[in-house]
Amino acid sequence: MNSSDDPFEAELRALGESLHVPPPPTAMADRVLTALREPEPKRRFTTKRLVAVLAAFLVVLVAATPQGRAAVAEVLRFAGVEIEVGGSAPLPSGSPSPLPSETSAALAEARGAVAFPLVVPAALGEPDQVRVADGGQVVSMYWDGIRLDQYDGSLREVWHKQLGDPYPQQLWLGTTSAVWIPQQHGIEYLPAGGGNPVSLRLAGPTLIWQHGRVGLRLEGVPDVEEAKKIAASAR
Amino acid sequence: MNADDPPPLTDDEAVGRSLAGDLTAYEALVTRYTAIAHRTAFLLGAGDEAEDVVQEAFVKAYRHLRSFRRDSAFRPWLLRIVANETHNATRSRGRRADLSVRLEAVRKPGGPEDPQDTAVAGDRSARLLAAVRALPDREREAVVCRYFLQLSEAETAEVLDCPIGSVKSRTHRGLRRLREEVDRELL
Repeated sequence: MNSSDDPFEAELRALGESLHVPPPPTAMADRVLTALREPEPKRRFTTKRLVAVLAAFLVVLVAATPQGRAAVAEVLRFAGVEIEVGGSAPLPSGSPSPLPSETSAALAEARGAVAFPLVVPAALGEPDQVRVADGGQVVSMYWDGIRLDQYDGSLREVWHKQLGDPYPQQLWLGTTSAVWIPQQHGIEYLPAGGGNPVSLRLAGPTLIWQHGRVGLRLEGVPDVEEAKKIAASAR
Repeated sequence: MNADDPPPLTDDEAVGRSLAGDLTAYEALVTRYTAIAHRTAFLLGAGDEAEDVVQEAFVKAYRHLRSFRRDSAFRPWLLRIVANETHNATRSRGRRADLSVRLEAVRKPGGPEDPQDTAVAGDRSARLLAAVRALPDREREAVVCRYFLQLSEAETAEVLDCPIGSVKSRTHRGLRRLREEVDRELL
């Protein structure tokens, strides 16, 4: 595994081997299986989540055909976003909340505060405002009327969106697949540590895509071609 | 192993069966990777919570198995979840302090299963360990992954979720700092 024969590096490896680490747990498989047989704690939409897991791949294959849409998918899971397509458009409920522990930051600070690489769309220039939320889980950048959220979109769902018709449109940004939601829709944030979803305001037209591990949602650009141009300029 | 036993499942076979809902296949993966997952959690600073961190990581890994890319290796993907869970568990309560307690503990003479502890008690080893403990977070994590867990650069990059170039530079800076620290104290 290690071809290096640097004596200092070898010394560190030997030190590692001589460390007294507690013995590994013995009944881990039982504990994990028991936990897996219980319902997921503190998360809503459990049934839909399971449907989403099963449907996600089929959706990609069949979403292009109207028959496929009707037959399979009411939930689409993409780039850390769970999109629930219901019969009617959602109504705003209560007053909009900010993301958990949201704070303002300079762009450079934000880069240091999160564990994933941030991009800025050249088409928009430097953001007017940058906010870091939920212990570095989400970074939001703001321009006049436009908001770009970046988050780790590879391990869990970060957002839950509720839509009336029409079905979101799947499209390509170069070789990256993306989802375009043209209408107003309800949006919730799912905190990293579990806990209750945070209800945000109604969101405007949104483009969602994934860049490496990072999920991105661009909100507030009404025209899909314009949104694609902005997304393509992200560096 | 008895010659009549069926060959053990490869990781990929076990992942495939787990995706099809076969919990027994997932159990095989849990058994296979519990030790390294636990060591990773402990050495990245999970301390007393290492067992809970490992359990949660295996549960999350199962629930997100669809997002695992089948053409890549399971072990670093799992360890990345372990590292994330370790961060989650330690974030709220001063991770540096916690880690120093945990590493302090490893310097005590171990039980009978650990005859090598006498070596750790050596001055130089103790100083080196203290110097690792004092490294900036990112350098310490890279050094722990590369040398204490003996992961490759590529695995370390995946576990720490950063480019390989960052692993190289963090390791390089960490090693330089450690050498300086240990040499300085020899004078």
